[in-house]
Amino acid sequence: MNARQHFGRAAEEAAARYLIRHGWRLLGRNVRIGRGELDIVARRGPVLAFVEVKARRTRTCGAPEDAVGALKRRQVAHLAELWLAARPWALTGVDDVRFDIIAVDSGAFPTTIRHLPAAFTLDG
Amino acid sequence: MLASIASEALSGLDGKPVQVEADVVAAAPAFYIVGLPDVAVQESRERVRAAIVNSAYSFPSRRITVNLAPADLRKEGPSFDLPIALAFLVATGQAADGCDGRGPLAAVGELGLDGTLRPVAGALALAESLRRRGVRGLILPAANAAEAALVVGLEVYPARTLAEAVAQLAAGGCAAAPPADLTVLLSGPPAEGADFADIMGQEQVKRALEVAVAGAHNVLMSGPPGAGKTMLARRLPGIMPALTLDEAIEVTRIYSVAGLLPQDHALITRRPFRAPHHTISSPGLVGGGGTPRPGEVSLAHLGVLFLDEFPEYRLSALEGLRQPLEDGEVTISRRLMSMTFPARIMLVAAMNPCPCGYLGDRERDCTCPAHRVRQYSSRLSGPLLDRIDLRLDVPRVPPRDRRSGAHAEPSATVRARVAGARERQLARLAGTGEYANAHMSARHLRRLCTLDGDATALLDRAYERLRLSARACDRVIKVAQTIADLEAAPRINSAHVAESLSYRIRSHHDR
Repeated sequence: MNARQHFGRAAEEAAARYLIRHGWRLLGRNVRIGRGELDIVARRGPVLAFVEVKARRTRTCGAPEDAVGALKRRQVAHLAELWLAARPWALTGVDDVRFDIIAVDSGAFPTTIRHLPAAFTLDG
Repeated sequence: MLASIASEALSGLDGKPVQVEADVVAAAPAFYIVGLPDVAVQESRERVRAAIVNSAYSFPSRRITVNLAPADLRKEGPSFDLPIALAFLVATGQAADGCDGRGPLAAVGELGLDGTLRPVAGALALAESLRRRGVRGLILPAANAAEAALVVGLEVYPARTLAEAVAQLAAGGCAAAPPADLTVLLSGPPAEGADFADIMGQEQVKRALEVAVAGAHNVLMSGPPGAGKTMLARRLPGIMPALTLDEAIEVTRIYSVAGLLPQDHALITRRPFRAPHHTISSPGLVGGGGTPRPGEVSLAHLGVLFLDEFPEYRLSALEGLRQPLEDGEVTISRRLMSMTFPARIMLVAAMNPCPCGYLGDRERDCTCPAHRVRQYSSRLSGPLLDRIDLRLDVPRVPPRDRRSGAHAEPSATVRARVAGARERQLARLAGTGEYANAHMSARHLRRLCTLDGDATALLDRAYERLRLSARACDRVIKVAQTIADLEAAPRINSAHVAESLSYRIRSHHDR
């Protein structure tokens, strides 16, 4: 595992702790489906969220959440559909399904974590 | 959770029913609109989303599928914003459809991001179509209410915002707009802007125009620049008989569909006067576009279409006028649809006699070479000129006439005479479906127009001497009939024929 992967893993760890602290139950972490990966799948009450974690060391290339581009969004949305298709029971009691972004920003001090609920949808 | 709201799509001057269905389920979030929507309908998603959030409703993260049925009819424009938002709110349990047992309400309207409702084009046509199908009522933007209220037998529920529309729907329609008082709308002051009395001299031309209007004959005026051709033309709607209620609604519907209805006028009560510039394209003049829209001929329906610098128009545009002039309507065909717009116009064309404008002038010499003059007038095709009954020379006004115009007749006096002549025509043409002499067919002409002995003799002489064609001869009789109608004469006499002939024999552009 190289330094870059370490940094990413640490950010995912921070995001997971953040979600648990806020009452979410984690249904999956680093869920590999084919060649893709869903960072976090979490559930809180009637809400099921697919969470993409993005971390940045500096602000020179903009905020971390802006780095989740159209391609990544489509990819996450597609993986989520596959995940749901394999687990029909996962939707029992669920009202809302969301795609969230958790931005871990080391460019600011201290490191901040921002949770952006319903950051994007299947249609962009 | 499924919900459905009735709406209406504009198709030409008519409406077609559209059912807006919304399905909201827990699944990967998305907002899809299906049912052959165009770009404006696709963009509706962003307007609806923002309007719902900014009206203090919630927009849950679910899969929303909106279907506009029937799926084979192309849906255009922003008027589905309101029914989509209402169907969504009902499907998510944030609004109630209170129409149970009373027949559903339809909805149309464009949403702003803050939830305000913006007016849509063609509200009158949509309302009429809904009424014909027996729909009980319509929720629509308040700015369209006066226009839709012209339709008798349809409840009109205005709303200024999405929240008000939701309240209307929940109550199954409350606070209906009062039906329009048609007699008040129609009897408003005619607001004469330009009067015939403003024009000094030109008594002969005015007389000829009076004849033209009385019989709905098309006119071509020819004269040097500044002689007053445009001034005269602008005053023609003022001497035409007032629009009847049905006519006013017909004109209003066209303007409503074209999106040209002024905000403060629910009903157009004055005859249209359209003067498109000579650079106008053929679709602009006769109507057209991917989804056909009415052109200038239709916007001039029941009024005057004034074409200044007549030979300067594109040939395709001029030739496109032939069908509407003949049939009183325009049919535009496209791959998926064919639409007919009414276009019963009085064509008033004006031209200079030659490119420099002074051919035949008493005081100034024409500087055009002969071939240029020929070229200029040859742009007007025979079939087109054939549809023009009167050709007038409009000379420059001599100085003494310019000063002594005080006794010129006001438009109202002329209009009264024209109205009388129209009544007599209507009585004679009863059963033919026409209302004016200009539209008489050759068969009706033989049957309905009676010439006395002198008139027949004069016409026969003219036929030979002037080498008139049979059709030109018919046209002379039609105009003579109108002149007789203006005088309330029972039959056409030689004076009527003589005057009619004088509108026929015009030097330059008559080949």
